Amino acid sequence: MSFFLHSKKSRRQMLRSMMGGGVVSLTLPFLDCFLNTNGTALASGAPIPTRFGTWYWGMGQTPGRAVKDKVATGPGIEFLEETESLIPHKDKLNYFGKFNMPLDGRSNYTHFSGWVANRTGTAPEAGGNIPAPTLDLLIADEIGKGTRFRTLDVSSVGMARQNYSARNTFNRAAAEIDPVALFDRIYGPEFADPNKADFKPDPDVRMRKSVLSAFTEETKDYMKSLGAVDKQRMDQYFTSIREIENQLALQLTKPEPNLACVVPTRPGELGPDEVVRVREIDSVIETHKVMTKILAMAVACNQTNVFNMVFTDSFANVRRVGETYTHHLLTHEEAIDADRGYQPLTYSFNKASMDGMASFIDIIDSIPEGDGTLLDNCLIFASSETNYARLHTIDGVPVYLIGGAGGRMKQGMYVAGGGDPITRVGLTAMQIMGVPVQNWGTKSLETSKTISEIVV
Amino acid sequence: MRARQDQMKIDFLPVLAVTVGFLTSAGMSVVAADAPENRTLGFVVQGWMPSVYETKFIDECPAGLNISNDEIWWRTLSKAERSEKTQDGLITTLDRWFLAKSRGPKGEDVCINPEVIKDDPPLLTVEGATSFGVNLDGNTDGSATPKTCTHENFISPVGVPGVDNQLYRLIGCIYGFRDQGVIEINANEMRRTSGLAMILIEVTDVDDAKNDDDVTVTFYRSIDQFPLDSSGQVIPHSSYRVDYKGGGPRYGDSLKGSIVDGVLQAGSGDVRLPYYGNYNYMHPVIRDMQIKLEISDDGTNSQGTVAGYYDLEQYLYLTGGLGPVISTGNFSCPAFFDAAKRMADGYPDPDTGECTHISSAFEINAFAAFVVHPDQSSNMETAER
Amino acid sequence: MLISKMKINIGQIACVAAAIFALTACGESEPQTSGAPPDMRRLTSEQYRNVIHDVFGEHVEIASRFDPLVRTDGLFAVGASKAIITPSGFEKFYNIARSVARQAVDKDNRAVLIPCAPADALRANEACSRQFFTEVGRHLYRRPLTESEMETAVSAANEVADQLNDFYSGIEFGLTGLLVTPSFLFIIDETEPDSSSLSGLRLTGHAKASRLSFLLWNSAPDDMLLEAAETGALHTDNGIERQVERMVRSPFLARGVRAFFEDFLDLEKFENLEKDTTIYPAYTINTAESAKEQMLRTIVDHTVNQDAPYPEIFTTRKTFIDSHLGRVYRVPVARPDGGWEPYEFPEDDVRAGILTQMGFLSLFSHPGRSSATLRGKAVRELLLCQKVPDPPGDIDFSLFNDPNAPSRTARDRLTAHATVPSCAGCHKLTDPIGLGFEQFDGIGQFRVAEQGAIIDVAGDLDGNQFADAKSLAQAMHDSPSVPACLTNQLYSYAAGRAPERDEREFVRYLEDGFSDSGYSLKSLLRDIATSDAFYAVSEPKRVDDGVVRAASFNDKTKQELGS
Repeated sequence: MSFFLHSKKSRRQMLRSMMGGGVVSLTLPFLDCFLNTNGTALASGAPIPTRFGTWYWGMGQTPGRAVKDKVATGPGIEFLEETESLIPHKDKLNYFGKFNMPLDGRSNYTHFSGWVANRTGTAPEAGGNIPAPTLDLLIADEIGKGTRFRTLDVSSVGMARQNYSARNTFNRAAAEIDPVALFDRIYGPEFADPNKADFKPDPDVRMRKSVLSAFTEETKDYMKSLGAVDKQRMDQYFTSIREIENQLALQLTKPEPNLACVVPTRPGELGPDEVVRVREIDSVIETHKVMTKILAMAVACNQTNVFNMVFTDSFANVRRVGETYTHHLLTHEEAIDADRGYQPLTYSFNKASMDGMASFIDIIDSIPEGDGTLLDNCLIFASSETNYARLHTIDGVPVYLIGGAGGRMKQGMYVAGGGDPITRVGLTAMQIMGVPVQNWGTKSLETSKTISEIVV
Repeated sequence: MRARQDQMKIDFLPVLAVTVGFLTSAGMSVVAADAPENRTLGFVVQGWMPSVYETKFIDECPAGLNISNDEIWWRTLSKAERSEKTQDGLITTLDRWFLAKSRGPKGEDVCINPEVIKDDPPLLTVEGATSFGVNLDGNTDGSATPKTCTHENFISPVGVPGVDNQLYRLIGCIYGFRDQGVIEINANEMRRTSGLAMILIEVTDVDDAKNDDDVTVTFYRSIDQFPLDSSGQVIPHSSYRVDYKGGGPRYGDSLKGSIVDGVLQAGSGDVRLPYYGNYNYMHPVIRDMQIKLEISDDGTNSQGTVAGYYDLEQYLYLTGGLGPVISTGNFSCPAFFDAAKRMADGYPDPDTGECTHISSAFEINAFAAFVVHPDQSSNMETAER
Repeated sequence: MLISKMKINIGQIACVAAAIFALTACGESEPQTSGAPPDMRRLTSEQYRNVIHDVFGEHVEIASRFDPLVRTDGLFAVGASKAIITPSGFEKFYNIARSVARQAVDKDNRAVLIPCAPADALRANEACSRQFFTEVGRHLYRRPLTESEMETAVSAANEVADQLNDFYSGIEFGLTGLLVTPSFLFIIDETEPDSSSLSGLRLTGHAKASRLSFLLWNSAPDDMLLEAAETGALHTDNGIERQVERMVRSPFLARGVRAFFEDFLDLEKFENLEKDTTIYPAYTINTAESAKEQMLRTIVDHTVNQDAPYPEIFTTRKTFIDSHLGRVYRVPVARPDGGWEPYEFPEDDVRAGILTQMGFLSLFSHPGRSSATLRGKAVRELLLCQKVPDPPGDIDFSLFNDPNAPSRTARDRLTAHATVPSCAGCHKLTDPIGLGFEQFDGIGQFRVAEQGAIIDVAGDLDGNQFADAKSLAQAMHDSPSVPACLTNQLYSYAAGRAPERDEREFVRYLEDGFSDSGYSLKSLLRDIATSDAFYAVSEPKRVDDGVVRAASFNDKTKQELGS
């Protein structure tokens, strides 16, 4: 690791000399950096990596209808109507209830503070402000280096900006919103099928690497003009280049055979009518399935170890055909049905979100890998930005940790938060994924208390 | 066609000012009075279906519905011929239509050359007493007049006698022409999606869109296609340019009429119209044509009826050229042609005495439209509503 | 040209006459400012496209999406000054660059775009490469390449040409390289010493040329402007004024003004606009595109071609329509098969100005219905530059969600917003304005009643009563906040940042000039582009003083993780 981060110049010189020589020189020292956290070498027979993913849905849950709250942590989750579709997966996930999100006097920026505090450990000071990196990036910094993509960010609602993964306000990748573009990005000409016998490194890739290095290596005169902040922005540019160079380097190396990797079929292009309907809930459900299949297989093919999926965005602009209301508007404007005691249309959208989560799990669980499935080797952090959307409550925001985490997480547990900060979940997830973090978060969200009940 | 359910919950002003087109008198080919309130209403016809009166148990066709051309042909074949002609059953119902059409003694297409077959079972025609339509010839006993041939009259569903609708009599027992029958539905669909033979109706000299005792109704053909929304429906309030040829509109016959409580009525007179459907193009004249159109408040879907003496030769040209709907519509030549000649009841040929037109009635629906004439290009800034 | 078309009195004539010669606002001289630290701004997708099209031709396709900018201080132009390039963002830039380079060297284009042809196309040709990169590089980087940059480009091209036995592949890779470096992707404020400036620094001639060109034409400087930079003319008032005058008179000004209004009015929202097509059958993707285009055409025609007063964009009945809009507005179009035509709404029409156009009305509505709050908020924030506070997190809607309430119109439904104290504070800023537009549904179609009840569209704009949308538009026209907001935002757009504290006087000076000119946008642009403030730079901030909080949290977290 240290070699990678601190010796950029000498690494560049290494790359340049590599260009002159052969291509498949796998034994070059810098490849030490592409090892996974266990430190084992990437030879055949390598252990299957543990991957981390996040899944996002907007508008939380319907109180009293989702998961039955319990007093104490323990095995056994009681799924109510809204989460019925998760029952088949009850032994593959944990639910975290009644964790709180103290903001220490900062405003609850509706549909924003909830996810920012949850995923970064720090409450935002202003609307739109993301004060710290989200946990998936901290994990990616640990486990994401050996793969072609550091992370893959995908959205089913057609909003590229609504990606809940960021280093800060301005350092936030755009989500892929088009299934065809996602497919082409992963499985386009740059994809090296690990199960193809004949691997030939693409000379074009070699050329690309060489040219990129040459052009971007030099420090420029203009750097002298710039202030500290702009120098940091320039640093980010170089960091991004390095990642791309890594991608290219990987493309020049023959990938390990991987039985789990089966290239999916390319999805069809959207017709103009379909584009217009992109946020109709039926369309979202379909797009989500298509995108998840592509994404899950990309993970199985080791194209990335960290993945983020947005089912509906934090403002849940989704709706049904012919209705004037979006999910979000319904949460505020729909009356509570006197007989049922809850908002029926809102409930139906919330249920659709849970069904979506179930289909996400299904798809990942359907890819055989090793002795089990891809799900066994994943840890997925699924959450929303609110508990009861109607009141924008951020205490008791539902969080699920799904998957086997490579055997490192117990499953089927209900974890009772008892009012503890919700950052305990994120902290535990990061620790399970091998991030050497002892405490995380700031102010009242700061915690060092691992949820040991779920750690193997 | 049946009107699409109006989904809007918003009321629109009853005054049509906000919903229908208004064009300035300057530059228009149709000369209009220069009264300040002078307005024009425009419509584009989308659905055009023959009015077919049906009862629940098909009482109007006591002998049942007609069998199709396919069936007639099939019954003439021996088992061996059946096997040979259909490649041992590979060619199924719909695909037989082409073979069945060519059942003339020398392989002629019997829809184009109906006279080569003389012994088909005669066409079953309507024997019921009721029909939609209008009393076109002015008498109630069906006797011949200088303009008409002898025929039987119908009584309208609300009891008005003297209805002349021989077209109904002719087609009413053919499955494909009845409700949900494919022949006209297909023709409508083809018009909707191709934009061919679109009829524009322009109502001029309108002082009050609800009540006006003197308006002029002119019929044109549009060269612009229907714009369709994402579910395939026509979007109202679109603009359509009139088809012009040699300095004047290619169509352009007019009728005088009036509007009473928002119902436009005009006629009668001779109007030539463009026609397209089921792969055939025509331009029939409807003689003594009358039109009635209930103008809807929001301009979207106005329903109406058209009646008159339809140009028989053009009609037979159309039906002779029907494609696969002959099969799926259970249509049959040449019995149809034979019956058509006998049913015709309008405008006898001076030499042969045979009537050349057939009384008919149609249901139409129309959308609010702007009828645009060519010499109006940049006068739009002075357009008012 | 400089005299506005509005009626002006003698004093103003004299004043304006003086202004022609001195090019300063009347009666005032420009307040001094110390500028801001030099900055770097990422090219917007439109700027990227324009530069490529200017250099390589309109036919070059740029198919991919760009990474979005973060809207900051009400503008993407300000977000561009903070933008970084993520790895996936760089991937996108790389793919676009490669595609552009491929097109530039393909058989159809190479004869036109590459100024020389090598004797042997299967081999490297240093001289021709050098010639190509010299010409193209100067336009792409907005300054001549340094010798070391030239070395990099030429040797990369040579190496590739040798490896692949193809001169043009070498050019392709070399050009790709140029297109992914910061010098292309960022507009960088390069500085040089200048004893006569407060900070001892000034922007280089090329940096000034870039600022000017991206402001007025939304693209890289052309040859004449680059030359003015290279001769030092841009360091003189006269030199700047001549270029500004040339550029303001050019048809390319329309491109720059369009880009500003697209940003100012947040028209990027059209990309994510969605309407329910069952409720609004007249809405299609084409209609949405036309709606956006109509707004921009109206504004550009009004402010650039007519040079008419800016506030009249709210009251002008003149606009442009096509067949899609004809259906929404229910007016005839002469060419239903496509194309734009000028159109003027009649005097007694309910519509006038951009606020009654489909674009504004549909952007700030919900997919299935109109929204008084969204429209009111848009007017406040975008056009009046008044911030509307975010909604509080802890509202209980049960107070007014009575399912049996007989509310049929939006005004009825929003009564609670107006009466419940915790809501009224903010909603009284937005709803009275927005309710004035309620006769226009969620896509801007006109209606008189909602669910059978006649819609009441009276209200007030900060005490100024109006009876309907048209008189609301008149109230906007008369509001002094409107030109003040425009001035502030236009200057922010130009500078890539909100005005600094010591620039407030300067902004007021601009506002006065704007008013004196009869609210001529061109005049305001001239004032900005010829001012000292626009080009002033202060010392770069060497130390991160924690103003950008993101960075400091980042560092803190990193320390805790010990990585």
